[in-house]
Amino acid sequence: MAHSLKPECTPLKHKYDACFNAWFEGYLSPVLADQAEPDRTRALQEKREEYDRTCGKVWEAYRGCLSGALTQKGLDDLLQQAREENPLLEPESAEARR
Amino acid sequence: MVQYFSNAFHYDHPWANVQMGMWQKYPNPQCAHVISVDVLNRSVDPQTGIIRTERLLGCKQAAPAWAVKFLGGTADAYVREVSFVDPHSKTTTIHSVNLSLSDYLTVVEKITYVPSIAFPKTRTTFRQTAEIQARPKLWTSVGAKIELMSLDRFKQNAIRGKEGFEGVLRKLFGEDNTQEA
Repeated sequence: MAHSLKPECTPLKHKYDACFNAWFEGYLSPVLADQAEPDRTRALQEKREEYDRTCGKVWEAYRGCLSGALTQKGLDDLLQQAREENPLLEPESAEARR
Repeated sequence: MVQYFSNAFHYDHPWANVQMGMWQKYPNPQCAHVISVDVLNRSVDPQTGIIRTERLLGCKQAAPAWAVKFLGGTADAYVREVSFVDPHSKTTTIHSVNLSLSDYLTVVEKITYVPSIAFPKTRTTFRQTAEIQARPKLWTSVGAKIELMSLDRFKQNAIRGKEGFEGVLRKLFGEDNTQEA
């Protein structure tokens, strides 16, 4: 797994990545992908709660560690500019991708 | 004046495995030599289940060294990457753009991963497009030269990225799947 841009945060980042990866594996399980409504929405809700429960704390710790690092490297303005140009809050439609 | 690049091939691994591999090592031609990867934002849409992830990739500068020196860039380059993983439709889209030197040159890369139509359970189709464009700030003839050099670099890295990622997938999930089944 790759390092954090702020070396002190790498251990927390690895912890968070490991947590996310474990959760993600379950998230992609065929059971969830192939379920019909309303079971799917319920399963989705459970998975979201599980994520918050298991990875929420380490995520916050990692985020806290990282804060300030972007400013220090002069990246926050560049990032802000990129977000304004293209927020990418939703996937582009299939048509737009072609 | 824009340079385009597009590419498509498949990985002989199921879509879900390719997605899991993606978080461990993701072949970004803009970032062939990854120094750092940080997750800036991540959310799961309560309705669609789509996971949106915004990451910041730090890499050894991909632009030619003389260009970096000329433009006053730094040795490290950063890329903003936003991905959407839709577990229901089994579609992943990834959008990435360079942050470093973006006043002069933008490289916008779009990638999709979907299960192959012929072998949806064992094979994943990868599609990639890139648009490389010098911004007006860059003196025109130099801009054209840098666009072309960046395109060359991008092409080389695309090949290296594919090979690298295949290695990661093999390590994680064993040999490539065979197509019988």
